Amino acid sequence: MTTRDIVLIALFTAITVVLGLLPPIPLGFIPVPITAQSLGPMLAGCILGARRGALAMLLMVLLVAIGLPVLSGGRGGLAILAGPGAGYIAGWIAGAFVCGLVAERFVRESQAERAQFVAFFAAAVIGGVGVVHLLGVPWLAHAGGLTLVDAAKASAAFLPGDLIKAFVAMLAGRAVLAGYPLLPQRA
Amino acid sequence: MLNGLDIEGSSPLHRMPVRGKLLLLFVAAIGLFLLSDLRLLAPALLLAALVYLSTGIGLAEAFRRTRFVLFTVLLVAAMNWLVHSPLEALAVFCRLSALVLLAAAVTATTGISAFMDEIARLIAPLERFGFARAADVSLAVGLVIRFVPEIFARYQDIADAHRARGLPVRPLTTLAPLIILTLKDADTIAMAIDARGFRRH
Repeated sequence: MTTRDIVLIALFTAITVVLGLLPPIPLGFIPVPITAQSLGPMLAGCILGARRGALAMLLMVLLVAIGLPVLSGGRGGLAILAGPGAGYIAGWIAGAFVCGLVAERFVRESQAERAQFVAFFAAAVIGGVGVVHLLGVPWLAHAGGLTLVDAAKASAAFLPGDLIKAFVAMLAGRAVLAGYPLLPQRA
Repeated sequence: MLNGLDIEGSSPLHRMPVRGKLLLLFVAAIGLFLLSDLRLLAPALLLAALVYLSTGIGLAEAFRRTRFVLFTVLLVAAMNWLVHSPLEALAVFCRLSALVLLAAAVTATTGISAFMDEIARLIAPLERFGFARAADVSLAVGLVIRFVPEIFARYQDIADAHRARGLPVRPLTTLAPLIILTLKDADTIAMAIDARGFRRH
């Protein structure tokens, strides 16, 4: 791990913190307002790749644990990691890793633009949405005494927003690849 | 911009070592999930609330910090009411809120540096095998705290540039420049760190 990798990881964690400072966007057609912060794991995977992306999100969870108000709305502290939504936060680490794996495997700089878009969208949906919910739902079910099906139904309220975010991550991932490619040089 | 959530004081929790607090929280979490009797869970919630308030945080601030998590707890309890029974819902509410309040109490009485020391101690065994370096973790945490205000200011500059051109400020058009401009700094920052010899091998 070079110093540059550590700096990239820290800067990406800082970007994720800043995403949580932006005002949430209320959407008429889904019940939960969208915060830009859950773009974090998708962008981390799509831009930094699997290893550095996952470490950036691990650093994020560490900052939450030591009591810095880094989550959207100035939330933070161990209370978040003890609450029913803790699985989603933990899912950010695995989500960024899987997102990065897919992006590293299928995105090539020499590809046509459309192929890159498809690969980034797949990476964001599989890692940033699929894996995050895969870890979030069982913990919600366990902590809340719900069946997996009921927990999954509650989780589904976030799906439309998550898919919009995957779309944004796809555009940003491809723009950063064009402007300042980091994905090809893995840590 | 990024200040810790700990508050000053000299309550018993403040004076307890960090590891002791974390272990107690862990044990309490396991205990709360093993209990299912409301006659024990309700007093547990009361006790947790008293522990949280014993840190000297004050009611308003205590509520302000935990209201979001408590709201999700309430939602989960409401779902339990629908699919199971009101009693079950009350048990879930007491169990999860007690856990949340205890965790918030640990956060309120533990400073960032105390936490970082504890993390360095936890990483030490890994360091021996070359998996991770405690100094690198502290460096990364320090960098985040240092750069969040700067990145936020940069976002506002980009948003201003949008407004000056009469463009709507959208995440789609602000994100890419924000990320590229920020990550491009990585080389300079890394060189500055190496030039000062912060990461001696």
